[in-house]
Amino acid sequence: MARHSSAETAVDPVISVRDLTKVYGQGDAAVRAVDGVSFDISPGTVVGVLGPNGAGKTSAIKMMLGLVTPTAGDVRIAGTDALSNTTAIYRHVGAMLEGARNVYWRLTVRENVEFFASLSGFDPRRTADYHDALIERYGLEDKADTPVRELSRGMKQKVSLICTLARRTDVIFLDEPTLGLDVETSLDLRREIRRLTDDRSMTVVLSSHDMDLVEAVCDRVIIVRAGRIVADDTVENLVELFRTQAYQLTVGSPLSEAAKGRLEHRYNAQGWERIGEHVRFEATPRSDDSVYTLVDELQREAVPLVSIQSLQPDLENVFLELTTEAARPKTQNGGER
Amino acid sequence: MNALLTLTRAVARKELVLMVRYPVNTLSNLFLTYLFFVLIFFGGQAVAGPALTASLDGIIVGFFLWTMASLSFGYLAWSVTAEAQWGTFEQLYMTPFGIRTIMLVKAAVGTTINFGWGLGMLLLLLVTSGRSLQVDLGTVLPLGALTLASAVGIGFCFAGLSILYKRIEDLLSVVNFALVGCIAAPVESVAWLKAIPLAQGSYLLRRTMDGGIRLWEIPAPEILLLVGTAIAYPAAGYYVFRWAQRRARRKGILGHY
Repeated sequence: MARHSSAETAVDPVISVRDLTKVYGQGDAAVRAVDGVSFDISPGTVVGVLGPNGAGKTSAIKMMLGLVTPTAGDVRIAGTDALSNTTAIYRHVGAMLEGARNVYWRLTVRENVEFFASLSGFDPRRTADYHDALIERYGLEDKADTPVRELSRGMKQKVSLICTLARRTDVIFLDEPTLGLDVETSLDLRREIRRLTDDRSMTVVLSSHDMDLVEAVCDRVIIVRAGRIVADDTVENLVELFRTQAYQLTVGSPLSEAAKGRLEHRYNAQGWERIGEHVRFEATPRSDDSVYTLVDELQREAVPLVSIQSLQPDLENVFLELTTEAARPKTQNGGER
Repeated sequence: MNALLTLTRAVARKELVLMVRYPVNTLSNLFLTYLFFVLIFFGGQAVAGPALTASLDGIIVGFFLWTMASLSFGYLAWSVTAEAQWGTFEQLYMTPFGIRTIMLVKAAVGTTINFGWGLGMLLLLLVTSGRSLQVDLGTVLPLGALTLASAVGIGFCFAGLSILYKRIEDLLSVVNFALVGCIAAPVESVAWLKAIPLAQGSYLLRRTMDGGIRLWEIPAPEILLLVGTAIAYPAAGYYVFRWAQRRARRKGILGHY
């Protein structure tokens, strides 16, 4: 799996967004859904756009796709001004926006694929082999002539993705591609999304609340909060950025109030939890060495240490940290601070 | 050009596949239209007696026209609502052809299919009423196409409004009945009514079908007026559609339903 080590673009970006702003309504009722967002996306990468509900990610994505007109800003897709020449970008961009709802349920799988390929001008009689290969790739060859309404949600989702791919664009946007899927289908789709970039050099922009998906497939993550980008970096860098030397400690007996106060003050101890005879808490010493002084302090208090465990942050922690608290300044690559 | 043909074939194929795959839905729509005519015909005979017979040819031609106008107008307006509900409208929007070309192709395909249904319905009406009309295809087809163009224009207009206002089904039903008024407009006594949608075409079709008049026998100003409405209403409808989809994009509600 080829992962990019940095969010910086070394080649000409396939998507370039500058000062993108969307204000809905006017006067006192005006809502600034997207607030001066800028970033570039390199070809052949998978970029996740994350944010809580109402953060502005859907508005931003739909502006990139030409489905919502920005109040201000520029979007260029494959070098084409997406705002003044909207239809031209659809030779480069396809999107699966509403998962299983993107296709005609009364048509069969094959009829859907042929119809959506035709929407991009591809004669289905000349691209039948490609369509068959796509259907087979996603394991729907037995269902090719079945009306979509008779398929499971996961299969419908796959049909929607196949129809998006049948348009043969270089860039695809996927909105909540694993929403409502069972674990197995979700894992399957996850592999397929990664394969699009690794095998076919496609650029994938996906929006999802599924952190496991984002962590597994994305080269880069853009986190949006209140219409602004609060983080824009690789998954690894973001996790590293939020890595604090946090530990979970379990001790064999309760601590005195005075000892607890000292630990809270000096080691940022919190999350006290009584488990039978044991007490569990989390501590964040101010330097790597001070975990030893913390252990020494426990020994001085005659409190037996049962276990100590280093806590590893994941993307979900990063996301929650960035979107539920006021975002603190960070060193990030590209985008807004 | 090849790409446009591919698109047209795809839209036509989709419509025909759905029509054949769901015949009950298709046939029940036609049966309801036919039932409506039978009620008018036999109900009218019971009430008006022989007086109805004098205007029967006009009723048949008018009903034939209303069937097609209703189908053509409704096809565009309803399809936007339906596509939005299915989640496919934004997919239609995101094509290199552009949504307006897609809608024009849908309009052309829909009107052609509806013309076929209209002719089938006309035959049924004639068999039911025991009447005969002089149907010269060289006259009826161009006149019918020019007449329906204004219905397509209204369809575009309301397709645009449904992008903006979403649930306008009740309004569409009202407009559907207003089409009856347009078709039956007394253009011979009130000349300006010839400018409203369908009225001039309906008048000329009635004259040709029950009077055996050929296309070239119709006075040029009458034809020109029909051509004028056939251009003006689709142009106005297209403009409203374009305005509505731009406004919907500004408001961020293009794919809402």
